Amino acid sequence: MLPKSEHSLTILHAGALRHPLRECARFFGRTHPRVDIRLEAAGSLACARRLLEGRHADIAALADPVLFEKLLVPRVVQRYFVFATDQMVITFDDLSRHSRHINPDNWMDVLLEPEVTFGRSDHSLDPAGYRTLMLWRLAEQHYGRPALFDRLNEKCRPEFIYAKSVDLTPAIREGRLDYGFQYRSVAWQEGLRFLRLPGRINLSNPVYAGHYAQVSVELDSPLTGLRTMLHGAPVEFAAGRTEQARDRGLAEAFLELLISRAGQQILEESGLVPY
Amino acid sequence: MNAGLNRPPGDELALLQAHTEKLIWPCLLFLLYRKPAHGYELIQSLNEMGVSEGEADPATIYRNLRRMEEEDLVTSRWEAGLSGPARRLYHLTPAGEAALHLLAHLLREKKEKIEGFLGRYRELFPDGPAGNGKEGD
Repeated sequence: MLPKSEHSLTILHAGALRHPLRECARFFGRTHPRVDIRLEAAGSLACARRLLEGRHADIAALADPVLFEKLLVPRVVQRYFVFATDQMVITFDDLSRHSRHINPDNWMDVLLEPEVTFGRSDHSLDPAGYRTLMLWRLAEQHYGRPALFDRLNEKCRPEFIYAKSVDLTPAIREGRLDYGFQYRSVAWQEGLRFLRLPGRINLSNPVYAGHYAQVSVELDSPLTGLRTMLHGAPVEFAAGRTEQARDRGLAEAFLELLISRAGQQILEESGLVPY
Repeated sequence: MNAGLNRPPGDELALLQAHTEKLIWPCLLFLLYRKPAHGYELIQSLNEMGVSEGEADPATIYRNLRRMEEEDLVTSRWEAGLSGPARRLYHLTPAGEAALHLLAHLLREKKEKIEGFLGRYRELFPDGPAGNGKEGD
């Protein structure tokens, strides 16, 4: 019979953070062997909704600090911090149609080929979803391709839109999709091939923060009640202890690990860029 | 303070010499001498300085900041914003300030060597691409 855990720590997190948080949990377990760590993944907007509905979690780790600012502070979380960055890429595998020919200059033509399928996550559930829409808008300007956004948006039918970006991975592996818009770290963790996009459109670089902010997505999320205009910004991940945390010291110890040298190493090995 | 005259032991000097190549360390130390800053802000300021090749890559900058922290050239702490999130704020250490001066000295030495080479090159190729003050044309 396994020894009974004396404490538990529930972490509600963006799906894209599953791998690094699992590794952090393993590391934390070495110094806190009697703590039962429970990881619960969803799209970050879905995570926020669960917290707003009163679902218990000790820590929230989301894929956009804006969600803390607009939805969770101050009632659910008082203080949160930004701990890593990433970039949007186009993911695929060897069996994806035209995967041998796709490049940073022709990707939109490949995706618009009639036989090619591509997907994204739902922008009302998941930041990678609204970041994909921002990326398409930026691409329209960057490549001088009027109506590119509308053409991509029209072709990406509802059956190709998933609850969270990590759900695109099995769809690509199983051939339901040829391509997906995901974070580079997820592609790295899952061993997917990926196409790097120019810095001016991949939402990675603070140098282009002003440029990214020119595009926006109107978010009307019945899930969270969040109706707002979100402007483009570099991809960032943020975390905070919730006000309902049962053991505040334990939750803060886990967050300390996340920003420690060991945590930075885990994040980097997961393909993220730790702060 | 003229730290350029107080050279550190061989290994540390070699480390700093290696970082005169891409100018990232001298620029980061310079920016942090002016004021403590977040990585996000440093990336933007580095780009505005216009001395690096191409756009500043966030992964490269954060990796360099971590390495500089390991070398005790910078230190960091988390600073809460007034209404926004807490971010890691980098500060220059006394060792970092000394390294800044030493790097400036090493860069001046390197510049003199490069100018020496270009002077000789111009004597042989007065109409070459580095001739008549047209470097980089």
